This record gives sequence, C-alpha cells and structure tokens, in this order.
Amino acid sequence: MGLTGIGLAAAFGTIASAASRAAAAPSAASPGGTINEAGSSLLLPLMQKWAADYHQQFPGATVDTAGGGSTAGISDAAAGSNDVGASDAYLSSGDVLVHPGLLNIPLAVSAQSVIFNLPSLRGTNIKLSGTILAEMYSGQVTMWNDPQIQAINAGVPLPAIRVVPLHRTEGSGDTFIFTSYLSTQDPDWNTAAGYGTLVNWPSPPAARPVTGSNTMITGCEQVVGCVGYNGVSYLPQEQAGGLGEAALQNGGGRYLIPSPATIQAELDKFIAITPPNETIAMIDGAGGYGYPIINYEYAIVKTVQPDAATAARIRDFLQWVISSPTATSQVSSVGFQPLPADVQQLSQAQIEEIR
Amino acid sequence: MATIVTAPAQVPAARPAPDSGRRRPPRRGLRHLATARGTPSMIQAMIAAIVILSLAWGGLGAWTVATHSSGATSLAYTGEPYSRDAQRLYLAVADADVTITTSFLAQAQPVPPGQQPPSSLAARQRLQADLAQASQYLADLMNGGGNAVLTQAVATFEQDLAAYQGYVATAQTEYAQDVIPAGDSAMEVASEEAHLGLLPEARLIYSQEIAAVGASRNQATSLPTTVIAIVVGLAALIMLLWAQRWMARRTHRVFNLGLVVATAALVVSIGWLAATFGLASSDLSTAIGQGANPAEALAQASIDVQQIRGDSILNVIARSGTTSLQADSAAQARNVGPGSGSLLGEASAAGNRLVTTDLAGAIAAAPAWQVANNQGYTLGSQHQYNAELESIKSAQVSNGYNQVTSSVSRALDAAQQTFTTQADDASSAFGPLEAVVIVAALVMVVASAWGLARRLAEYR
Repeated sequence: MGLTGIGLAAAFGTIASAASRAAAAPSAASPGGTINEAGSSLLLPLMQKWAADYHQQFPGATVDTAGGGSTAGISDAAAGSNDVGASDAYLSSGDVLVHPGLLNIPLAVSAQSVIFNLPSLRGTNIKLSGTILAEMYSGQVTMWNDPQIQAINAGVPLPAIRVVPLHRTEGSGDTFIFTSYLSTQDPDWNTAAGYGTLVNWPSPPAARPVTGSNTMITGCEQVVGCVGYNGVSYLPQEQAGGLGEAALQNGGGRYLIPSPATIQAELDKFIAITPPNETIAMIDGAGGYGYPIINYEYAIVKTVQPDAATAARIRDFLQWVISSPTATSQVSSVGFQPLPADVQQLSQAQIEEIR
Repeated sequence: MATIVTAPAQVPAARPAPDSGRRRPPRRGLRHLATARGTPSMIQAMIAAIVILSLAWGGLGAWTVATHSSGATSLAYTGEPYSRDAQRLYLAVADADVTITTSFLAQAQPVPPGQQPPSSLAARQRLQADLAQASQYLADLMNGGGNAVLTQAVATFEQDLAAYQGYVATAQTEYAQDVIPAGDSAMEVASEEAHLGLLPEARLIYSQEIAAVGASRNQATSLPTTVIAIVVGLAALIMLLWAQRWMARRTHRVFNLGLVVATAALVVSIGWLAATFGLASSDLSTAIGQGANPAEALAQASIDVQQIRGDSILNVIARSGTTSLQADSAAQARNVGPGSGSLLGEASAAGNRLVTTDLAGAIAAAPAWQVANNQGYTLGSQHQYNAELESIKSAQVSNGYNQVTSSVSRALDAAQQTFTTQADDASSAFGPLEAVVIVAALVMVVASAWGLARRLAEYR
C-alpha cells in the first residue's frame, strides 16, 4: 500500500472510529421518545418502577411495560416487535445462532422463591430440598407430612395436607431456573424431565398448570397445600396472600431463604466466570454458601436497531437502569440485587454495542 | 535443407529524373516509402518492424508462458494444499467442539449408584489434539503468505481460540463440581464462540484460500493472454514472410538467410507454445473438472456435515430460549445431499470414476443419518431432553455417520489425487518453453537484422 493508500486508510479508520464512538455514546440531549418493553413477569414489578422513575426524571421519555413471559420477551425482541425484551433466562445458543446480534444484558440479580400454602404454618420457612421438590412435582411425595419433609423439619407440625404442585405452562424463564435447580439436585429429575423454559411436567393427579406469575400466586392462594415457584419480586404480594416461603437446600446442605446476604454469597461464586456475553446459569454453585436459585434478569436487545434514534433511546434507558442511583435503589425494593461492579462493566460494554 | 540461391548483387540502375512538368499523385504506405525514399529506407523500416515484432513476441510470449506456468505450479503446489489445510482447520475446530460438548454432556448425566460417570479424558485429549492440529494448520497457512484479509482472519481466529479454550475450561470446572447448569451454560458460550467466531473465521480463511486457488486457476488457464501472444507471433510471421517476398521481388534472390532463420525460429517457438498450451490446458481441464471441482464440493460437504453434527449437539443444551437449530440443520442437510444440485451430487457427477465409486457409501448412508438427526430434534421439540441427547449421541457414532464421513473423506482424497497428478503434469508441460521463446526472439532479432543489413550494405 502506498503512502496515499495508508493515509486514506488512516483517515477512513479515524472517521469510522469517531462515528463508532459517536454512535455508542449516550445521547447528549435529554432522553425522550417511547420504548416498548415486554417479557419476564418476574422482572415486571421492577420494570414498572423503573419506567415510572425514568419518566419522572425525563418527562419526554416513556417506557411501556408488559409481561407475557420470558419466552415471549425473547421472541418479540428477536422479531423486532418490542424494543426491549425481558427474560429471566439467557438466550439459548439456538436464539444466538439464528438471530446473530441479539444481546442478553443483565440489569439486576434476581432470585426465585418456592412458595406454599399451609395456613397453619404461616410465617414458617419450611425446609425443602431439590430432591423433595422433584418428588413433589413427580407425584412421589404427595403429603406435606411426608417423612422426608418431617426429617428435615424437626419440630415443625407439618399438616396432613395433600401436596398440589403448580407449574407454568407457557415458555417461562422461571420454569427454566426452577427446573435447573431440580436437575442439579435430583439426578432422577434430570433424567426424566430435565430443565428448560418448557419441560414435560410429570402429571400426578394433584398437579395444576397455571399461566404467568400472577396466576401462580392467585392459584396457590386458592388451593391449600399448593407448592409453586416465583420470583422474589412477588414475595410481598405472596406474603400478603398468606403464602409461605421455603428455605431451600443448597449444595453445601444449608437451608436458606433469599436475602441480600444469601443472594450475594451465591453471586460471588459466579462473578469471575461471567463471560463477556453474560450468558451464565447461576444455580446451586459450588461451595454451598448461598441461596441456590439466583439469576441475572436480562434485557434482550438487538444490536442493530432500525435507526440511530431508537438505538440511542434504548442505550440511554439501559445505561440509566444499570448505573443511575435512582434505578439501582429500586432494585432492592423488590428483593433483587444491583449488578456487581464487574458485571455492570460487562453490561455497559454490551449496551455500547447497540447501534 | 533448401538451397539458398544467391543471385549476383545487382545494383539498381539509376532512375530517370522525375518529370518536372508532371505532378505525381501522393502515394501512401510501404510502397510509397520504397518509392519515395528508395529501397534502403524500406529495408531499414523492415528491420525496425521485424525487430519490434520479434521483441514483442519474445516478451509477450515469455510473459504468457511464465504466468501460466507459475499459475499451474502455484495451483499444484501451493493453492490446493493450503485450501486443504484451511478445510482441515475447520474440521479440526468442528470436531473439537462436538467431541468435548458430547463428552461433557455425557459426563453430566446421572449414573446408577456405585458407578462412576464416564471419563472425559479421551475427549479432552482429542480436543487438545484437534486444537493443536488447528494451530499447526494456521501456522502453515501463515507461512504460505497471504493477504491482509487472511492475516486479519488468522489473528482473530487465534484470539477466539484462546477464548474458546477458556470457556471449555470453565465448563470443565463447573461439571467437575457437579454444577451442571453452569457447566452447560459455559459449554453453550464455548459452542457459540465456536459457531459464531471460530468456524466462520475458519470458513473465511478457507474461502480466502479457495479464492487464491481460483486466481491461480485463472492465471494458469487464461485464454486472452495466450491468444494475444499468438496473434503477435503470427503478425511477426506475416511480417517475415512479406519481407522475404518483397526482398525476393526487389533483389531477385529467392531466400534471405537471416530472414529464413528468423522465420524458422518463430515457427518453432509458436508451434512449441501452442502444443504446450494445448497439453497443459488439457491436463488442467482434467485437474479442475475431475479434481479441484469435486474436491471443493466434497470439502464443503465435510464442513456442512460437521455443521449438522454441531447443530444437533448444541440443540441439546440450548434450552433457555425459543429457537431450535433444526431449520439450520435441515438446510445444511439439503446442501450436502444426495440429489440433484447437492454437493454430493455435484461431486459424484464430476466424471471422476474413483470419486463416484468412493462416494457411493455416503450417498447411500446420508439420508438415514439425516433421519436419525431429525429424530433428535423431534424429541427436543417434545422437551424429552434426555432422549434427545441419547438419540443425538447415537446418531453421531452410528454407522450412518461413520459411513458418510469416511466415504466423503476417501472421495476427497481421490479427487485431490487426480488434481495433484494432473496439475503436476500441466506444470511440468511448460518445461523450458519460456527460455525457448526468449531465445527464439533473440535469434529472430539477430538473424533478421543480419540478413537485411547485408542487403542494405549493397546500397552503400
């Protein structure tokens, strides 16, 4: 290449680099416009708070939120029918390969509760293990006073009430996380059902299908003896409805409920191995010090947006979510944890890829 | 040998003075030159024209020969071997990824009480061997030189290879601690790195090498330069023949020794060049039609078979989202074939009997193997994940898969062998032709100048 060629290449590189930086930088103007968000019902309560705060801080900007489940969140974002999808589960390799350029960007750290409806034990955190839960869902443990449950809940007056397992029927990140825990703790469950956003649920006579997080709560409230799973963001609503929260066994044999400390203890094991694309399952990590079902709550976004203005709107909002004090302060209000600094940097890098 | 009859030198009689009272019409061309300035001027002009045409023939002919010869040599000894290295690079990475993913998934499955999970040692060793081979192929490709695109692709590939190994190591650690979902997700990230980074980069490197092969192929078989060289040679021949005819009429001498020698040198060199090009062209046509073309189709088929294999195992662990890889796999399967327009079909119809024979096994086994793969996807779509894994594992070690890959590999070797033999023959065919053309051109210059200068001297 001659000097002219080198000069032109350098000039082109400089222009391209400047254009790239300009595209990635937050817009200088105050954020405005409308962003459509849909997906995870677990993230929905927090997303609604973020939307309200964002609008309050930037009156020209509106975030329209909707639930619909993680699977819908991913597919809508991939199809471009929503600006931002929300998912409790990371993108599968199938999603990533079929829709190259689709990003999963953690916004917060969540945990999942196992809930139950035993009026006589209101306020008690019954201890449950993955194996016992797997057997409840597969119909081998049918009564709450089963000897296996009694063995780990010494002194708790477990009632002779039939176990009614509730599960989600639609593609759900909650189901992915919950069944991942069951698969990790119970080899038989892993063989028979495995884990996924959709699984072939065993069908014991008492089992009941539900759709959506809210129906999981109302369904459980209506049936004494129910056991179900839901994000911690629904805990206040569940407790108000008289539902209990189980203490789950982790890999170290400890029974824990989700709390900032137990979530953080679990999270600590996964921060260093979170890859740059932030795809990671954080279920029952080694060591056994933390609450065993935690996950990142993901925003699912296309790297290439229809136009620069849309890209800027999405970048502005997501950067605000992961870094502004207003947004991060809301995270703990729903039982979530803000992203640790290292993961926040990874999310920031992914947000900057949106064009 | 023809006898050269040399008539006594005749000094042309002095011409009558032009009729000053009559104006002659203006005359054009060589005849005009001969008339206007006399025979010496005409001979000088002929010397100049023949020297120019001789040098043009020598230069253009030698350049054409050098270009074609170098193209054929490059095709035989550089292009094809490097494209094979690039193809093997892809296969090594694809095999590494599928091998280790399958092994880790098998290791992560529950085992009956009292039994140990299957060891992943052999798979890890195969992974390391595959990756070491991939690094060796990269080194070979870089040693062969390359353009900026290739250099960049290799650099990116090396970076991504390091990242891939890191993810595999993370997965191994998580599996070893029985943290299966984290192991699976790390393996998913590794596979995504392989599918979105390493394999496309390997494919880019492969396509760069195939483009280089195409350039060598064009260089070795380019018709226009050959035609132009031969046209220049024929122009020189016409000039020499015309000059001899003119000299014979003007000087009453039948032959001019210098021009005869120049003509002979030209005829020999043109004939040699035409014969060589005909021979090399035939060899290259066979090399390309029955060697390079089926080899390229089979190399692509090998890559696609690995892609099908990779898709199926990745689909087993890809459970968090919404998209199955079945459509991608089906598209690859259609591309592989058999059938009209497919890669196997194209290779089989290339007219190479050895390739067609070797491919019979793959053509017979491919449909059943693809059905076995589809069975895995069907189970996956029914959320029977364990059955999907078992089905895919079984399809991967099935006779069908082994038959497809071994048959394609044998046919590829046969096509490569045909190519190498024929391209080698084509390359050898050029032999000393370049020197022959240059020497012939120099002989033409010297002989024709000498022959015409002798005639010219008679006018002084």
